Amino acid sequence: MNKTIDVARYEYLHHVANKRFWLSLIGVPLGFILIFVASMVLSFLSFDTRPVGIVDNANLIQIEPDNTQKSTIFDTQIHLYVYPDESAARAAASADEIQGFAVIPEDYASRFELTYWTNKQPGNDVQSAIANFISRNLMVAENIDSAVLKRVNEGSAVSLQSLDGSQTSDGTGWHRIIVPVVIGMLNFIVVMSSGGYLLKALVEEKENRTIEIMLTSVPSREIMAGKIVGNLGVGLTQIAAWIILLGIAGFLFRDRLGFLADINLSGSYLAISVALMILSFLFTAALMATIGAAMTSTEESQGIIGLMVLPMMFPFYFFTVFLNSPNGILARVLSFIPLSAPLALSLRMAFSSVSPLEIAGVFVVIISFSLLMFWLAGVVFKRGMLQYSKRLSLKEIFSKETRNA
Amino acid sequence: MSTIIVDKIAKSFGATQAVKDVSFEVRPGEIFGLLGPNGSGKTTSIRIILDIYQPDSGSVTILDGPMTNDKLNHIGYIPEERGLYQDVPLDRCLTYLATLKGLTEEQIKERLPKYLAKFDLTDHAKKKSKELSKGMQQKAQLIAALIHDPEIIIIDEPFSALDPVNTQLVKDLLLEQRNAGKTIVMCTHQMNQVEQLCDRLVLIDHGQVLLQGELSEIRDRFRTNEVIIDALNPLPEQINGVSKIEQLNDAYRLTPQEGLSAHDLLNQLVAQGIELNSFEVAVPTLDEIFIRVVKEGNGFHE
Repeated sequence: MNKTIDVARYEYLHHVANKRFWLSLIGVPLGFILIFVASMVLSFLSFDTRPVGIVDNANLIQIEPDNTQKSTIFDTQIHLYVYPDESAARAAASADEIQGFAVIPEDYASRFELTYWTNKQPGNDVQSAIANFISRNLMVAENIDSAVLKRVNEGSAVSLQSLDGSQTSDGTGWHRIIVPVVIGMLNFIVVMSSGGYLLKALVEEKENRTIEIMLTSVPSREIMAGKIVGNLGVGLTQIAAWIILLGIAGFLFRDRLGFLADINLSGSYLAISVALMILSFLFTAALMATIGAAMTSTEESQGIIGLMVLPMMFPFYFFTVFLNSPNGILARVLSFIPLSAPLALSLRMAFSSVSPLEIAGVFVVIISFSLLMFWLAGVVFKRGMLQYSKRLSLKEIFSKETRNA
Repeated sequence: MSTIIVDKIAKSFGATQAVKDVSFEVRPGEIFGLLGPNGSGKTTSIRIILDIYQPDSGSVTILDGPMTNDKLNHIGYIPEERGLYQDVPLDRCLTYLATLKGLTEEQIKERLPKYLAKFDLTDHAKKKSKELSKGMQQKAQLIAALIHDPEIIIIDEPFSALDPVNTQLVKDLLLEQRNAGKTIVMCTHQMNQVEQLCDRLVLIDHGQVLLQGELSEIRDRFRTNEVIIDALNPLPEQINGVSKIEQLNDAYRLTPQEGLSAHDLLNQLVAQGIELNSFEVAVPTLDEIFIRVVKEGNGFHE
């Protein structure tokens, strides 16, 4: 047991002290931030935030447009200018002072149709700015109370509840998607980075022949356990560092992130997600150890990692299937496959109600697969790690000699 | 009581029988040679002794019992396929390997600088292993095998790729360890080194023991009545009492006729007026014994 700790400590410190770890620790969130900022800036720049003109031929306008709020990168505001007639609005449009103008016809009250003059397709923000402005004026004309007016503009809050009462959601939807996606991405990063470190460490020890000295100092199961614990620690350190960074960012930008308060994560949801993530890592670690012991070089093993990414990403590929049919056959099957289970079950639990019995079944299946993979890793490890120049074939892996090695 | 007892071990990989009914004993405080051509089963035998492989049959007793985790701390091993963590500074690499052999941080801090100094590696302690020469890496391996003061040292091909200076250093080190009471198993096919260092040996080929015993006793067993002479003048084609004359580089190997002793042959040579610089009874080299035994594939067991 002591040597397991020694191996784990070495693996952990070896990777954490490495420049690659810090580059990845800083580079991944920085990359996400850069992509996010770039997409926000591009999106902001692509929006036409110039004002829009209104020509009221129906004498509908009772209140002036509210042009006090300014556009930001997070929230575009389209200001509305009221013009006395169509020719004035057209002149302003020609002078590029406005991007277009809406003409409210005299018979608007009976037909509810208007014409928008422009040389380019207006965005949704333009259409909703005009529609909201007209609605407010129509309601003022009917003497509707301003509080009611505000409620109508805000719309209704829909709350969703599963039939058995186990799942609730406020129905606004966006965080129902974002939370499992974030959990899936974190799981993917932890499993792939930690598993990748583990695979690299094993293949390198085989390439540089240190494994033979290791095996005459530490029993193979303690080597394996130490490497898994050490590399899982590396992955969890990454996640912890990112969570701390997110926390700092959240604190610094707390005024702009009020919408995060909508996220209401249950303790059981988080516990199940984290437990699945760790189980998935253990399975992947054993799988990587098996591959590492059977392969002869780092390059060879990299190709196999590429193949492992596919099943992990299946729930992302079939995202709409999960959204529309979270308890369908495909979603259920992917919940029972160790590599795809963390994301699949996380998505299903977010979009629907998954019975405790089924969740327990997923755990039983993944634990069984993990134990099987650990057994296989153990037998392949002893035989394959000392076969330096030749890849262990599938036939050799399952041979009697390998089991007895 | 022997330090290592290998009793009829057998191991096969698929259709290949790597080791078959191999038995030998290694006694305390001796340098034991485990010899054999490439692919003869030496490394498999070593890995079975070290409990890396389980034998299909037979058993190994080491330090009075089967291998345990604790006993691993009493063994220093240098495999044939040498290796160190290439991207790690030498001192960190050796510290880690010493930790795995059960040394505490304090013990490592006390011993490592001494070993680095002994092997002239102090100035290279902070360098990554890949920046060291092959000879330096070999010496670092020796430190890894010795730093925990093991009772048993198992060293596979100790002299491969070493220059003469480092070869002598390793030889001196092995003798020093033997004199300190350590048991050493040396696995090699360099017979001249075995002749200089080993007390006893076992010769394996095709996974089977062909020969084993004490070095002097094996030599006696393969001794013939041939003599090597250094004559002042060229020898005549025929010499009385000699059945065969073979010219070596600067000497002759003479095979006496049946029943003629070396002493009688010397008298015959002097009587025939052959002037000699030297006259010695030919002792077969281990190389010659090795080649002969392996070629014949006969069992010359103890």
